[in-house]
Amino acid sequence: MTDGDYDYLIKLLALGDSGVGKTTFLYRYTDNKFNPKFITTVGIDFREKRVVYTTNSPNGTTGKTFKVHLQLWDTAGQERFRSLTTAFFRDAMGFLLMFDLTSQQSFLNVRNWMSQLQANAYCENPDIVLVGNKADLSDQREVQEKQAKELADKYGIPYFETSAATGAEVDKAVVTLLDLVMKRMEQCVDKPAADTHNTDGTSKLDAVPTAEKKCAC
Amino acid sequence: MKLEEESWENRHYQLCPMDLGLFQALERERVLEVLQRDKALRTIEADRIRRLKVELQGIYHQGAKTITRPYGQRSCARCQRPLGKFWDCGSVCCGCSHRICSRCRVVRSAIEWKCTMCHAFREFKIKSGDWFLEQQAKKYTDIKENGHETTGDKLLQSYQRLSFIAVVPPTPPPFKEVKSFNKSEEPKTSKPFTKSMENLMMSVSAHIRKLSKSQNDLSVEAGQLTVNYGRLNSRRKSLSEGALDRACNLCKAPSLPDLSQNAKSSEQYASSSSVYLTDDDVSYTSAYSDEHRDSNSSTGMDCGFFENSVTGEIEVAFGYNNRTSCLEITIKACRNLMFGDMRKKCHPYVKVRLLPKKYHNNKMKTAVRRGNNPVYNETFTCALEREQLVSSVVKVSVWHSRGLKRKLFLGETFLRLADFSLEKTHTQRSVWNTLGPKQRHSLGGDVELFPSDLLLLNAQLQFLTHTDDTLTGSAGQLKVVITDVWKLSVSKTAYIEGVLHLPGERELVQRTALKKTDALQMSFRVSLQELQQANLQINLWEKHTFSLADRLLRSARLAGESSWQRLQQSPGEWHDFVLPLHATVSTNMRS
Repeated sequence: MTDGDYDYLIKLLALGDSGVGKTTFLYRYTDNKFNPKFITTVGIDFREKRVVYTTNSPNGTTGKTFKVHLQLWDTAGQERFRSLTTAFFRDAMGFLLMFDLTSQQSFLNVRNWMSQLQANAYCENPDIVLVGNKADLSDQREVQEKQAKELADKYGIPYFETSAATGAEVDKAVVTLLDLVMKRMEQCVDKPAADTHNTDGTSKLDAVPTAEKKCAC
Repeated sequence: MKLEEESWENRHYQLCPMDLGLFQALERERVLEVLQRDKALRTIEADRIRRLKVELQGIYHQGAKTITRPYGQRSCARCQRPLGKFWDCGSVCCGCSHRICSRCRVVRSAIEWKCTMCHAFREFKIKSGDWFLEQQAKKYTDIKENGHETTGDKLLQSYQRLSFIAVVPPTPPPFKEVKSFNKSEEPKTSKPFTKSMENLMMSVSAHIRKLSKSQNDLSVEAGQLTVNYGRLNSRRKSLSEGALDRACNLCKAPSLPDLSQNAKSSEQYASSSSVYLTDDDVSYTSAYSDEHRDSNSSTGMDCGFFENSVTGEIEVAFGYNNRTSCLEITIKACRNLMFGDMRKKCHPYVKVRLLPKKYHNNKMKTAVRRGNNPVYNETFTCALEREQLVSSVVKVSVWHSRGLKRKLFLGETFLRLADFSLEKTHTQRSVWNTLGPKQRHSLGGDVELFPSDLLLLNAQLQFLTHTDDTLTGSAGQLKVVITDVWKLSVSKTAYIEGVLHLPGERELVQRTALKKTDALQMSFRVSLQELQQANLQINLWEKHTFSLADRLLRSARLAGESSWQRLQQSPGEWHDFVLPLHATVSTNMRS
């Protein structure tokens, strides 16, 4: 699988509480399979997938296609590995921040993960996609879509409700993140360094929602 | 919630980051396995990036303003096409601030475009992941000091310290070159860069080498480490430094060891052959060693000795096909060639080569014929831009094929395409040319000074009309300024001669000694009518210390009505010209 015949190497990283389904999510994405067994990830792991990316030129016509090699880092959600996993944040270009739709606590921790990202990622406002996993378990659902959507909007990041078991929205979430990263690349190269800080994306993490803080504490 | 938050922070600080020692042995194994996989992936990635860099370098070398061609010249910085003053004058690329013709642009939107080089560089930055490292470096200042080590890298290293592997594998040297890479890039972000790109490109090659070196170490390291991870061995893929060097040198002069080898082999051959071969053969050995023209290898000392033995002429015809942008070279025939050996045998064939080598890489050969008056009538075509015609030289050499034995040099001649005014007609013009002996590099030891057979000079010409001149009526003055004289600093005894050939065999001559720093200025009194048929020749001479005769090193010629018209249309204005200064082919001497 790994030869040098690709145009881009994009490193993405999945993070979130233990047991939210990061590993199964990535397994579904790369192999399109589902493993219902819970095997806790030891420290870190990664999976790879080769995808074809088509750029959309501004005038609507489909642009060039590129071969993208995705390196999808899977991190352990367990706290004892945290120092290890956060150290890997800085080498990733985009992040899948995951929580469990059937666990309120995992959703509450999203904010903590966000601040971890801010501290340890390659820049202050990296590209992030918020993913609520286990959407198929609707009877055990604890986090409402509206709630999660609001939080995502506050951070200014896309939100997806996925299910690794059924595969729903899994691809879409990753592709959206890939899209963001690809756009970021262009931005970084085209705009002088000073500008990139002050353009659109900045508010993502800087404006950590104050309202959320109030109600949570 | 507050408590929860605190524990998040505390936990983060409690654990010393990057310490695998805290984990159980089994866990450590698992993590290391992942890190090894990551490393394998990074090795492939580094390989890919290196390829990209070589590619980028290739694009850069294809045609760019370099240090030898300073900024400010009226020609496209990429394809070297001369640009007009008013129309087709190109415009300045926002990326590199060079003047670019309309062909060398990559249009991104209605108003936005970049020159091919800037575009390639941008693509490279994206594809290699350089953009990411740059962003990272903004936040993590330590990256600048430690190079772009990934977390995985560091962990692997820290594990090596913990591990029981007796042989401590060499840690890859920090990418110092990366630092300079970044440094040269930083000013670029604050202001449009012109030179920084060049600097950058220079550091790239060094960088590549460095990278491959560390890559080597890495793969060695992987080999040592993978006692337990045997499968990784098969993945080792990094190029050896030697191989990379070779790749780097593709467009450069042969590397030193190569040179000495070449020199040695030809010397050996010379010594062994001269024992039993005839005089003619000896002359060929010298010729053979000289085939590495760019090298400093022993140019046969006997060369001059046998100069007289080269006889014969060759008929060559040139044509230029405007439609296909192809130069057509027809080798028609040779006559009176010298014999290949004592038994009066001759199996000649002709080699054709377009110079400068930097731009043209195709060698062409005719079939082998018999006798010393062979007829070939073979046509070669090679793609050549119209603009390059004026600066190209065709080297035609005749060789005697001796089967398995080494070929024997029979004579050669150099033909300047500029002299044939091929642009005008499609029909081929054929000329008989006298074959000469093998040319030593016209500058002897100063090969480094002139890496190619061609030197481009920037000249500015101005024509002033003197309306108040009562003597000759419409007389005027032609002023020539050569701006980059420093390129000519061959020796202290060299001087420049400007000869303006006028109709009626008249010549105006000006000689100026070379001063390294100053621009060189010449002026000729000439009338408008005369100038139209004039022909300016710039010669670089060297005073010969021993023979009292001066040696012509290089010469350039500026002719043609179009150039003069430019001057006449706007008298008083300076016009930029590029003078291709060729190494002279005949060993012109004069006292």
